[in-house]
Amino acid sequence: MWELLICFMATVAFAIIFNTPFRLLGRIGMIGVLAWTVYSFIQDINVSFIAAAALAAFSASLMSYGLSRRHRVPVTTFAIPGIIPLVPGGKAYETMLAFVDENYIEGLTQGVATMLHAGAIAGGVVFALSIFSIGRGIDQRYET
Amino acid sequence: MAEKGRLVDLCLFAGKLMVTYGAETYRAEDIMNRMAVAGGLKNVHSFVTTTGIFLSGIQDNGDNLMQMIRIVDRFQDLNKVAEVNQLSRDFVLGRINEQEANEQLIKISAARMNYPLWLIYIASGVAGGAFSYLVGNTKFDMIPAAMGGLMSTLFLVLFQHYLHAKFFSEYLASFFGSIIALALLHSGYGSNVDQVIIGTIIPLVPGIPLTNSVRDLMNGDFISGLGRGAEAALTALSIAAGVATAVSLFLP
Repeated sequence: MWELLICFMATVAFAIIFNTPFRLLGRIGMIGVLAWTVYSFIQDINVSFIAAAALAAFSASLMSYGLSRRHRVPVTTFAIPGIIPLVPGGKAYETMLAFVDENYIEGLTQGVATMLHAGAIAGGVVFALSIFSIGRGIDQRYET
Repeated sequence: MAEKGRLVDLCLFAGKLMVTYGAETYRAEDIMNRMAVAGGLKNVHSFVTTTGIFLSGIQDNGDNLMQMIRIVDRFQDLNKVAEVNQLSRDFVLGRINEQEANEQLIKISAARMNYPLWLIYIASGVAGGAFSYLVGNTKFDMIPAAMGGLMSTLFLVLFQHYLHAKFFSEYLASFFGSIIALALLHSGYGSNVDQVIIGTIIPLVPGIPLTNSVRDLMNGDFISGLGRGAEAALTALSIAAGVATAVSLFLP
């Protein structure tokens, strides 16, 4: 519970840094909480962090698309702060530290893990995007 | 010529605001196309990259119109993106005319951030502290992480204002933020170096270029996608270099 409150605070803080409209701050925080809940729950049942990141990003951006339809704002307003709790900051830092220590094997390992984590988040976001553009015809580009 | 030229100016202005403040490429192209068609141009094509915008069309008398505009600076302000989006919707539906749209765009572009600067500093402090808790689960480390996050954003704004060199000021901001976090650690606040440093640099993370780069690439806008990707990668590299300098100097 404490962790979810912290996660809400982090997401809302990022929403303020990115200067999103005031009336949407609460909903953006809820998206961050959803992403974090999915992410930690899937890791708790012993699934790898890559699948967890992909599923969390997918659910967060699905909710972002739904909310952006309802409030008639661009979807980036919700999606960018919403997936911020998933950002692999820790892994990126470990990579950098290993390279500074001239520990190149460890650095490469952590670097590949970071890339996979970021790629999983991107995959989740794009998958939600393509679900929302089903049925718009082949010529249509992605919407919302 | 003159009136359609004003319409093209309006569309380019809207597109410039969109790209400058962090919208995706396809959204900028989409609103420019829609506004130009609603204003009476035919055969409209727009081409948006991260650093410049092109728009071409054919007038009623058969003359071609083609203009471009250069984008120099890019900031993060999603409120302006939402407002320009709403304005283009109003313009396409005919609720406002060209004159009013132009006035509103000028008003939007001159508007200040809708949060005061001190609130943004506090928010980055909160973001740093909260993130260090999410990464490492120790409440004691939240204080130096929050302090470091606040100071790194403070330094970023300061250096951007005086240096006008984006990547160098990000480097300096992460360097000085990490130094302050490490100094707090050495004087006894906080226990874990990793979490404190992560909380310090997390407000500088290039979230908007990164996300937009992926979406542009998946959408087929390869030039702007690669441009934004390069921007995000350079920012990340500057931050990492700043932290690396601080850590290698002050961590025995």
